[in-house]
Amino acid sequence: MTPRNHEGGRPPSNPDTNAQNQEGGRPPSTPDTNAQNQEGGRPPSTPDTNERASRVRPEVAAPTPWPFPRPERHQLSNGITVLLYDLPGQHVISTSLVLDHSLAAEPGPYEGITAMVARTLTEGTTAHPGERFAELLENQGAAIGADVDQSGTQVMMDVPATRLAAAMPLLAEVVRLPGLTDSDVRRQVDLRLADLAQLRANSAATAGIEYRRRVVDTAARAGRPAGGEDAQVSTLTGALVRDWASKLLVPAATTVVVGGDLGDASAVLDLVESCFGDWNGPAPSVVHPTPGAGLPGCTIIDRPGSVQADLRLGGWAVDRFDTRWPALRVASYAIGGSFNSRINTVLREEKGYTYGARVAFTPLRSGGWWAAQGSFRTEVVGDAIATARDLLDVTVAPFTADEVRDAQQYFTGASPLQYATADGVVDQAALQLMMGLPDDYLDQSLAQVLSVTPQLATEAYATIVDTEQLTCVVVGDAEALEPQVRAAGLEPTVVPIES
Amino acid sequence: MPPLSSLTTRPYPVTQHRLDNGLHVVISPDSATPTVAVNLWYDVGSRHEEPGRTGFAHLFEHLMFQGSANVASGEHFKLLQAAGASLNATTWFDRTNYFEALPTGGLELALWLEADRMASLAVTAENFATQREVVKEEKRQRYDNVPYGDVTERLVALTFPSDHPYGHTTIGSMADLDAAELSDVQTFFDRHYRASNAVLSVVGDITVDTALAAVEKYFGDLPALPKPPRPEAPPLPALTGVPRAEATADVPSDAVHFSYRTPARGTAEFDAFDLATTILGHGHTSRLHRRLVRRDELAESAGASSMALIGGNSFGFASARCRAGADPARVESILVAEIEQFIADGPTDEELQRAKATFERWWLQSLSRIDSRADQFSGYALLEGDPELVNHRIAAVNRIDAAAVQQAAAAHLAPDQRAVLTYRRSADTAANQENQS
Repeated sequence: MTPRNHEGGRPPSNPDTNAQNQEGGRPPSTPDTNAQNQEGGRPPSTPDTNERASRVRPEVAAPTPWPFPRPERHQLSNGITVLLYDLPGQHVISTSLVLDHSLAAEPGPYEGITAMVARTLTEGTTAHPGERFAELLENQGAAIGADVDQSGTQVMMDVPATRLAAAMPLLAEVVRLPGLTDSDVRRQVDLRLADLAQLRANSAATAGIEYRRRVVDTAARAGRPAGGEDAQVSTLTGALVRDWASKLLVPAATTVVVGGDLGDASAVLDLVESCFGDWNGPAPSVVHPTPGAGLPGCTIIDRPGSVQADLRLGGWAVDRFDTRWPALRVASYAIGGSFNSRINTVLREEKGYTYGARVAFTPLRSGGWWAAQGSFRTEVVGDAIATARDLLDVTVAPFTADEVRDAQQYFTGASPLQYATADGVVDQAALQLMMGLPDDYLDQSLAQVLSVTPQLATEAYATIVDTEQLTCVVVGDAEALEPQVRAAGLEPTVVPIES
Repeated sequence: MPPLSSLTTRPYPVTQHRLDNGLHVVISPDSATPTVAVNLWYDVGSRHEEPGRTGFAHLFEHLMFQGSANVASGEHFKLLQAAGASLNATTWFDRTNYFEALPTGGLELALWLEADRMASLAVTAENFATQREVVKEEKRQRYDNVPYGDVTERLVALTFPSDHPYGHTTIGSMADLDAAELSDVQTFFDRHYRASNAVLSVVGDITVDTALAAVEKYFGDLPALPKPPRPEAPPLPALTGVPRAEATADVPSDAVHFSYRTPARGTAEFDAFDLATTILGHGHTSRLHRRLVRRDELAESAGASSMALIGGNSFGFASARCRAGADPARVESILVAEIEQFIADGPTDEELQRAKATFERWWLQSLSRIDSRADQFSGYALLEGDPELVNHRIAAVNRIDAAAVQQAAAAHLAPDQRAVLTYRRSADTAANQENQS
């Protein structure tokens, strides 16, 4: 339900073949941040030629709230908390080791060192050095990956239920006996630098990184990429990474989440105990700071020859603990979350300017931001900005009862499917841990969403979205863009793209 | 330790029905959550497009959201999202699919909407023109404005003749999108959109009887029209002469891509070939990753894959993205050497078991949601004639032995059967990067 902001994600599934590159009909709409339309057009009158009996639209039974599964909570003998989600029929078990930390604690010269630990962890362990580790893991059909967030890291494994017992000890090795050899770190540093070059070459990735850099206070770690940037990453060594890992990978900071068709849950708990219960180490004190807001202003990042421009337009917002959050979820759905959101209806369906435009709120553990975003052909960017600014100002057109009802029904109806799978449940549970949210967060949040009125949605939104104080990033061909952006009322600074 | 669970091979229930108008219906109850997935595959994709109309099947898919006799433009999304649905449609070489998953109380709405747009279209000149622009923006966003965005187009052109059904990409060309006319829309609809040319799968918290009755209620009165003929697609032999292309662009790294003509899906030979590409090129234990990324440190990434298609051939791919200073010619020669070695030795027992275990996990995950399971049922029903195959995939793959994998690689991955695309960063980009470092 929450848009994730990570650089990784659950390990990709196998090469299918047919599902990878197909032409998607619509860009996916984002839950958590979604919108709806005005009560536009009635169906056209039915042509006389239509003799079909089934012309009358069926009624829909309103969806009923679906509770997010509650975990069994246990403690291992060393105090590690274990969350077990038994999900019958889910034959691939998802496991996450959730490590509590804040990237704000990274030493300034070595930003990205947490992510370097994460990406090198799976390259080998001291028990199974080098390539043998990955072989043993993949022999079980297991996929493993690590995902670094500002306020926590997940080490994740998916494996068929029949092979969990063989794979879990290998997952434990990753955090208890990491190899992190000099040569593995050196190679991963080079690969991270290559990744950064690829990200800079990608217009949408650049827009996301550069927008975040500006919408968050420059002093805050949260404004910079979790994986670090060239200057810092290139100084990382095996010794530095091993030292950092010894502080990061400790039982006191670890929670184990297991979800899927567990069969005998007590056997699974015994398995987790046998893999993690005798792990000892220091207890770090973790502080999660609150980042501040960045400054309004407009930057064009020059990418000569681009046939489109990537636009981000928004500002500072709030986190999930803010009392306005449920109303903002509803407002966000209506303004820019659903396919028929105000912004997508006008910029895509009426004007044909873009494949998709949306408004997303991105909550951190503390604080957060919002952005209207999309890719637009170069010639229409000025009008897209002006149109978006007008649409974003809801004081002249407050959210309607229909919009609010559609959002509420969407959030109610979409959740059972969203959390029907082991990885869906475990990812959400891990997110809740990293964000400091309770096990029943989703149910509480939905109940609050259902009590939002049009007036509350409009008021909450209006306290956040100020169309006179926007942070704007445009990545594209500056020569063509600058006059348009000025004409749209913004005062852009043009900067070259780094290569 | 004994297995904690042994449920993984339990088959999913499948019943099949055919309405009088030819609609193939697949129903699979699953009461784990109070939701239902509705999934339609039409037997029309980019391989059915006429010359000069590349990209049209996909443009048409967009138009299916622009209204029908009883549904206004935009209403399809509005009604379904307000019922809690996730929905979309996609187009590919072989087919177009339309799908939604939602709380069970919306099942009849979903069926009604899908039936209404199978029965009729209501596209105006205005929304045709707008969706053409949207599709052009999609092409720009996903291909034209993205580094290496034209790799697929270039590989397709190297692998099949331009007049072959697989000789052009699904997104098509800007010129052909511009040339498309409103009159093409009704023609395309009349030719391909009919009950006999589709599979409808309903998966979720329903019974067979209620789901079938609802399908009959909304689709039963659609006309019975004959199923259109499929394009002729005899398998083409392997490539010869190592066709080559070079591209130079503002990209961060050089890259080498191989493409092959391989067996069509639905054959044991395809599955054996797919295992070969997994062993060669999927994951950290694959031969190409170990050699090029890990040991020789010449590549940022290296891999191989197959792309399953039904019309006589599929595609096979192998590729590597070069690290700074690595000569693409050297990387190409190592790709060739690793593939030759694999053909000579075949897989080790451990490699083969690992590839099968990886397939098992991936397959179980792809069935773990009712929406993706419904998509697999529709796909196997439409392209291979039998949705029950979904329940037998793991067994089918597990039956393949090392000799079959080696044979498939020898027959379809031999280096003299490849096409080669070398992608080079432009001299300007290279100079800028060197100045930075």
